[in-house]
Amino acid sequence: MFDDTHVLELLPAYALGSLDEDEARLVADHLIGCLVCRAELGAFQMVADQLALTAPDASPPLDLKRRLVDRIPAVYPRTLAQPQAAWRRLMSRLLPAWGPVSLLLILALAVVNLSLWQRVNRLEVTTGPGGIRAIPLSGTDAAPKASGFIIVSADGHNGALVVDELLPLDPERQYQLWLIRDGQRTSGAVFSTDPDGYGGTQISAPASLFEYSAVGITIELAGGSLRPTGDKVLGGPLFNP
Amino acid sequence: MDYTLQNDATLIGLVARAQADALSELFDRYNRLVFSVALAIIGDQATAGEITLDVFTRVWHRAGLYRADQAKVSTWLTIITRHLAIDVLRQQAARPEQHNVSWDEVAPNVLSTVHNPEEIMELSQRRARVRVAVAQLPADQKQVLALAYFKGYTHRQIAEMLDQPLGTVKTRIRLAMQKLRQMLQDEGGPPDKSKNALAAYNIVEEV
Repeated sequence: MFDDTHVLELLPAYALGSLDEDEARLVADHLIGCLVCRAELGAFQMVADQLALTAPDASPPLDLKRRLVDRIPAVYPRTLAQPQAAWRRLMSRLLPAWGPVSLLLILALAVVNLSLWQRVNRLEVTTGPGGIRAIPLSGTDAAPKASGFIIVSADGHNGALVVDELLPLDPERQYQLWLIRDGQRTSGAVFSTDPDGYGGTQISAPASLFEYSAVGITIELAGGSLRPTGDKVLGGPLFNP
Repeated sequence: MDYTLQNDATLIGLVARAQADALSELFDRYNRLVFSVALAIIGDQATAGEITLDVFTRVWHRAGLYRADQAKVSTWLTIITRHLAIDVLRQQAARPEQHNVSWDEVAPNVLSTVHNPEEIMELSQRRARVRVAVAQLPADQKQVLALAYFKGYTHRQIAEMLDQPLGTVKTRIRLAMQKLRQMLQDEGGPPDKSKNALAAYNIVEEV
């Protein structure tokens, strides 16, 4: 058992990500204000990080590098071996995948503005030109004024999130987007909002976004959690509910 | 520029500046390690290959977020790999080798020997230290540790799977991690710079 002050005995499992949700939440809350436990966690995290080195040896497919070469220009056509303009380098630093994301965010802004203009408050999926979809999110009791949109490309392989009136958090915490399928929650993004409560990010999903039935956004420790532990602030149905 | 002579952190910096050859060199150094970790978790060659591609694609996109003072590049890559692979695993209805996770304590070195020999040597030594340390754990502790680390199971899931009391599983995991920490510290100090767990999580999620 752990003492009344610290959560030291839970830290090894926390570093492994093997605590159940209630215990993980307890530890996460405690860590925010406890330098002692954060230092201890760091030591156990170092151990956990080394465990990957015990993975059995395996030979990857011979064509893997070719597939990587094929994939990268298609996914993100960066300008290779050419000087970039300063503003473009700055944008690259601010948002490395800014090309496709900015397009999605522009579309998202257009959708949000259109939505506000029309004062449409009911939940609905808006399909734009080319098959891009915009799915509205609703604030929970923890953030009743918050709103947002999930923007999904026509093929479902790219997505972006835009939120508004979601209060900025202290530096120790961030918002985390969860993609829900068959009751399983997969992290899709970790993000912060600006002083006006506005924010946006690209969604990273291991599967097509069409395969997820719902999304939720929770408050987590900065950098995100392995599973939801904090209050849910936004959410809504996605596809195949 | 001869990329094979550059250290890992320099390569990441070059990748952040869109130098595809730097990514190619990084891939040559670590694709076997990344693939091995992915395969150990996911148990399927094709999916492990896709995860490996995802890892290096993410590196290409967001190399600028790497912080050398928070983790070695090899650690950064394996952390990303584990998170991606466990995400995939959790989406699968059936998990392979649920009860048969084993630690490969005598596997040959998975690392290339033709690139940057100093870093390869250092990583090889770290690998050996961890393997030796894990090998010294009791079998029951190794088992629960493997289920937690390589399969992403929680205490409760492991207890149900092994038909063991929850408290027993918690104790085994705690003891295993404490012993490993002690052994790795005794073996020449911390093998990595990633002491700040929150920083490590930052790296993963931002990438």
